[in-house]
Amino acid sequence: MRKRILISIGLIFSIHLIASEENYAYETLAEDLSHPWGLAVIDENNIIFTELSGNLRIIENGKLNPEPLSGVPEVLFAGQGGLSGIILDPSFNDNKRIYIAFSSPDAGKKTNTLEVVSATLNSGSISNVKTIFKASPSRRTAAHYGARMAFLDDGTLLITSGDGFNYREQAQYLDNHYGKIVRINTDGSIPQDNPFLSNTAALPEIWSYGHRNLQGITVVDGVVYENEHGPMGGDELNIAEPAKNYGWPAITYGKDYSGATISPFTEKEGMEQPIKYWVPSIAPSGMAYYDDTLFPNWTDSLLISALVPGDVRRLKVENSKITEEEILFSDLGRIRDVASSPDGTIILATDGPNGKLIRVIKK
Amino acid sequence: MVLNSLNLILSILIATCLVILQETMSNMFWLISVDMPVTIGVFVSTYFSNLLLMNGGGAIPIVALIAVGFLIAYTVAKILLIWINVSKANAYALAGAAAIMAIVLLMPLAFYNLDVLAGGRSILGKTILVFFGLVSGYYFGKSLEKQRV
Repeated sequence: MRKRILISIGLIFSIHLIASEENYAYETLAEDLSHPWGLAVIDENNIIFTELSGNLRIIENGKLNPEPLSGVPEVLFAGQGGLSGIILDPSFNDNKRIYIAFSSPDAGKKTNTLEVVSATLNSGSISNVKTIFKASPSRRTAAHYGARMAFLDDGTLLITSGDGFNYREQAQYLDNHYGKIVRINTDGSIPQDNPFLSNTAALPEIWSYGHRNLQGITVVDGVVYENEHGPMGGDELNIAEPAKNYGWPAITYGKDYSGATISPFTEKEGMEQPIKYWVPSIAPSGMAYYDDTLFPNWTDSLLISALVPGDVRRLKVENSKITEEEILFSDLGRIRDVASSPDGTIILATDGPNGKLIRVIKK
Repeated sequence: MVLNSLNLILSILIATCLVILQETMSNMFWLISVDMPVTIGVFVSTYFSNLLLMNGGGAIPIVALIAVGFLIAYTVAKILLIWINVSKANAYALAGAAAIMAIVLLMPLAFYNLDVLAGGRSILGKTILVFFGLVSGYYFGKSLEKQRV
């Protein structure tokens, strides 16, 4: 307890909570969207995004195409499940490949799992849809999928796979995909330098473990940042590294929704500490790195969208320490995802059945 | 009447303490299995912390949930006892078990199969919780029988 107090005091003095010095305005790109969830910016006028309810939508030349793209696989739209994360291939301009993560119903539909497909983006549709990852085993719950993606510099794909809520202890075991970051090649094959490849008891896709519900991931100069929902309190921002154990649920700064102590421990040797945690929860939902200069005070910052109470956290990280924290866009309600556009503007997806896509522009 | 109310409250409190004990044990036993340093002191302090937080720091106070379940189940048992010739202890034991079973089985249906009581995620966990409902109900029925004597 004393240690926690000392850490809290230390954090208060080491982090500069600053008020925004940027003048900005909002421009609505699209509205009346059905639970917008993940977005990928093709260029300043073209944005592809998912609606949790199962639609893949596109803003073309600055205008929302009223028709969803066809060719999307069947998704389970229930609880927290649905069409979720989306990312462009690093060579998208040449190959038009995209990757989509979603909750996929099993035959009989009593169970479901996280699935990732690759597909080719055409005008009005996607084609060449190929499953490149399916989390194992399947689950009975419709929660905690993770379902975000990021590319490492070597072209391999990181996929966040949540703990499925009821299966939290499985995050500590390597024979399943609950509570893991997995790493695969874009054709679904396993990279030969994955960290647990020589461990016959481990699934070969696993890259890091001990995670809960990872809702944001981004790679900056080779450093992998991921944010994850804690239970009641204990949301985390981590620097993820291969083979590392991030502790859930053996160590946590949160309590269960019932109020119960999941673990009285917050640290253990061999388990990684977050570079930041939030108590009470902010429900971090997406993450982007802002390296543009349209808003010079925000350059080189992580932007983390948050559902509770609804805002974007701008964090500056230096030497694995948070040196600046600022709350932005707190007048928009729950924000599900954030991305930066090549023109320096910031794109936000607000959450819910009447969600919006909003561009943050210079005033 | 006063004694009945007191016994009803005691039966709810017994169930609450047992359900929270099971929740605590479920979490602590798993932590021990992954070599976390769970001592008797840690266990006891966690249990008392859970008694407080599960009744005032969570989404729903567990004591209120159990109280509602028991009130409904005991009322049904009382009505059935008019026609069915069975001891009060057994009737209220079954009612207590049914109340907890309803809580652990129905709550997940309302939350997309999510078990809000983590200790009730497994069949063994559910069985133990239902048994604790049975014990609490038995206490209530037995106390009613004693009053009549």
